[in-house]
Amino acid sequence: MLFWILVAILTAAAAVVLILPLMRAAAPLSSPHSHDIEVYRDQLEEVARDQTSGLISGEDAELARAEIARRLLAASAADTGIQSSGPKSLRSNRIAQLFVLVSLPAVGLCLYLATGSPGVPAQPLAARLANAGEDINILIARAENHLAANPGDGRGWDLLAPIYMRSGRVEDAVAAYDQAIRLLEPTPARLGGYAEALIVQSGGLVTADAQQALKKSLALDPNDPRSEFYLALGLKQEGKQQDALAAFRKLAGNSPADAPWLPLVNQHIAELSAGQAPAGNTMPANPTSEDMAAAAQMDAGDRQAMIRGMVDSLSAKLKENPANFEGWMRLIRSHVVLDQRDKAREALQQGLKAFPATGDQGKQLLALGRELGIDADGEEE
Amino acid sequence: MIIELGHYALVLALATALVQAIVPIAGARRGDRALMELASSAALVCALLVAFSFAVLTFAYVTSDFSVRNVWENSHSLKPLIYKISGVWGNHEGSMLLWLLILVFFSALVALFGRNLPETLKATVLAVQAWIAAAFALFILLTSNPFARLIPAPGEGKDLNPVLQDVGLAIHPPLLYLGYVGFSVCFSFAIAALIEGRIDAAWARWVRPWTLAAWTFLTAGIAMGSYWAYYELGWGGWWFWDPVENASFMPWLAGTALLHSALVMEKREALKIWTVLLAIMTFSLSLLGTFLVRSGVLTSVHAFATDPTRGIFILAILVVFIGGAFSLFALRASRLKSGGLFAPISREGALVLNNLILTTATATVLTGTLYPLVLEALTGEKISVGAPFFNMTFGLLMLPLLCAVPFGPLLAWKRGDFTGVAQRLFVAAAVGLVVAAVYYYVMNGGPVLALLGIALGVFLIVGALTDLVLRSGIGKVAGSIAWKRLSGLPRSAFGTALAHAGLGVTLIGIVAVTAFETETVVEMKPGMTVDAGGYTLRFDGMRQGRGPNYTEETGHFTVSRGGVAVTEIWSSKRLYTARRMPTTEAGIRTFGLSQLYVSLGDPMTDGGIVVRVWWKPLILCIWGGALIMMAGGIVSLSDRRLRVGAPTRAKRPARLALGAAE
Repeated sequence: MLFWILVAILTAAAAVVLILPLMRAAAPLSSPHSHDIEVYRDQLEEVARDQTSGLISGEDAELARAEIARRLLAASAADTGIQSSGPKSLRSNRIAQLFVLVSLPAVGLCLYLATGSPGVPAQPLAARLANAGEDINILIARAENHLAANPGDGRGWDLLAPIYMRSGRVEDAVAAYDQAIRLLEPTPARLGGYAEALIVQSGGLVTADAQQALKKSLALDPNDPRSEFYLALGLKQEGKQQDALAAFRKLAGNSPADAPWLPLVNQHIAELSAGQAPAGNTMPANPTSEDMAAAAQMDAGDRQAMIRGMVDSLSAKLKENPANFEGWMRLIRSHVVLDQRDKAREALQQGLKAFPATGDQGKQLLALGRELGIDADGEEE
Repeated sequence: MIIELGHYALVLALATALVQAIVPIAGARRGDRALMELASSAALVCALLVAFSFAVLTFAYVTSDFSVRNVWENSHSLKPLIYKISGVWGNHEGSMLLWLLILVFFSALVALFGRNLPETLKATVLAVQAWIAAAFALFILLTSNPFARLIPAPGEGKDLNPVLQDVGLAIHPPLLYLGYVGFSVCFSFAIAALIEGRIDAAWARWVRPWTLAAWTFLTAGIAMGSYWAYYELGWGGWWFWDPVENASFMPWLAGTALLHSALVMEKREALKIWTVLLAIMTFSLSLLGTFLVRSGVLTSVHAFATDPTRGIFILAILVVFIGGAFSLFALRASRLKSGGLFAPISREGALVLNNLILTTATATVLTGTLYPLVLEALTGEKISVGAPFFNMTFGLLMLPLLCAVPFGPLLAWKRGDFTGVAQRLFVAAAVGLVVAAVYYYVMNGGPVLALLGIALGVFLIVGALTDLVLRSGIGKVAGSIAWKRLSGLPRSAFGTALAHAGLGVTLIGIVAVTAFETETVVEMKPGMTVDAGGYTLRFDGMRQGRGPNYTEETGHFTVSRGGVAVTEIWSSKRLYTARRMPTTEAGIRTFGLSQLYVSLGDPMTDGGIVVRVWWKPLILCIWGGALIMMAGGIVSLSDRRLRVGAPTRAKRPARLALGAAE
């Protein structure tokens, strides 16, 4: 309510200031040429000054004077031709007043209601931090502030890392897991979470870093199903069909019969034993996203949406700033892993625009394309 | 609530601008003073509303209100306060709001200080300003609203582009916009003159202070931008002929031409039509620059806008205003009476030459900037027009202009004496050649063309001084009289001399850097040394560091001369964590007017690192000259004659000297 009162006051104040000159009885208009005459008089004075100080010769001064005098005469003559117009009828002022009074509120309110969000309060960060309530974003921010002040608080990082994962801030999750592992001790849960974050970050690819963390985790607990699963998946992605099959079979054997990840493991076993084409060429739709959902025992839909969201955001970032070679490499890989081959090809083409095929980085992009079995549609030639 | 109030203030400003755009024009047509006076009130109200709106957005940034989408996208609660504030205009929406703020600010200045203008002219000028303001306010509200909300509000912002997180950004765009948008006043004066169908010598005097103010700001903005790119991008260059740079350079060239042609018009009432055309062209080029930068048609360092709908909207604004202005010009130009006659060798003749060359140069820059865009739009082929094109065309065009600059102020109006002037400039030319010869001797073996370039630069400086010396009669009359004459010269004479001398200083800097710069790219391991500009740099090793929102690797170099350690240089590479974005922080040390510039490249596998070392002789002259030109503009602005024209002399100390200069 206060807001609308202030809006009314603002509008009224503006309207009053605009109308004020219209209410006054207008003074007669000064003749339009009187301003010019003033300028020419000044120019004459200047010529005189220049002459006395010896800047111009007497002859030049006379010539200049004659020319300015001609202008002066012309302006004065034009002036006498115009009769000084008396006060205008108040009718046109009334129309103008009405126009101001109607248009300010009408235009103002219509446009504001179309574009504004009346009733949404300002939310300065300090106030939100002081009174967080259910605001998950603020709880995270508060924890971040705490950790910025006490970066050595390993438990803080440990708590925050999975929350980052859930809210899709994977890069922060990687950093947080890294801190937790460094400050506290490495456990299968932390190492597995770290590896998982790395895998999501690289768009579903089990990278060398992730494999290293997973192996460490298995060294601590040889029966950690999550680590076993991702390692197996990594083997499959590398094209080591037999090894992957063996690893998946071992995982299935060790799992309880009602384990939630079992169906997915069995699906992989089925695919591998059917002897399908090597990984990279014909992958089933989105295996990794489902894999991760199963492994983390989370809702598959959430995960998938999350990964797609991340890939989309990477793609948007690259549109904004195409001079990011690593980004293009990652995007192309991610699209292939998500089985979006068209998009992968598109990304390759766009990447080649930023890094022409003649350059070193362009050649690397092309090589990646060949490795993943996508071509840049003639860009290669 | 405060946020929404700021939003409403912006909407109300648009409504006010609409009133200001219509009512005063009707008043000017009917000779109704009350309706015309509304223009001034409306301009002030509009400026206050936009200023309030801008202050609210700044408040949102300072308090990290992430419920405002724009703040969330471009800020971060951990950023230092100054970058929170500069972040307001470090993005598309905020910078457009700044554009609008400066536009209405100039309108308010016309309203406040334009009492020497005839009422009808002032009312029409303000109305035209309001058309532009309304168009841009609508653009902001419909396509780039900085007050769009985000509910629920995120807990943390997405940071500012780290390349832009720099003091340079805090100052550069506002200065540039003051220049760009300042030319809108000249545009409005031209349109008003065409609407009224009346244009004379007095008009030229009234429009001059606005041209001067805009030109001064634009000079400062371009120089700032160039220096910013020089030390922030780590490429060691100071001008890249980047389309964004060209976009700000073209209005500068056209504005410089306008400044000079308005001079002829004021003194002799000649070149009227041409001056009006230049005023329209200059602001059109400003608008074109805004379009190029803001629509995202370019992909370069500065391009941070991506949405194509915005591009189409700005293009529409461009077509309406530029097209409308030229149509009006075509309709009315024939009615304007031409003025005084003059011989080819005269002050007027020199200024016409200046105008011809400057407009041709503008055209070449325009071609070089737009050709790749047009080609890409038509054929999809992507080419880039770079330094070689501009050096060949623009550089060659500038040569005769620079030679002619010292002659201009010395020639008499109407008909001049070329040999007389040449004789008087003989000293300047001789000094130029001597200085160049000495410099050649010191640098020992530079190209001959550079020699001539340096000579030309010194010729410009000494030539500018010659004008002052001759006019005051130093050496011919007694010292006290000469001093009296010198102090009696109009301020604008000093302004001219300063601006021309500044041009010479810049030219010397450009020539020296182009011809005598050394660049060494070398892979270094700790303990290795490299020579540059007579100094020896020893690489001492790398150090890891952490800033508030970045991590960095810093290389340390000891600089010595003749075996004696003189100073040290730190050069670093940063990685901004929030956006995973690397930047280069070049290490720069100044020796007199020259600089050593050290930039780090990629680390090698064997522990070494690629290091680029530049020796840049006299490089500070480039920006120092721009500063001198600016000073010339400011001195000219303070000329008393710029405030003449009010029939009832309002004798008030005008702190903001906003009249016209010689």
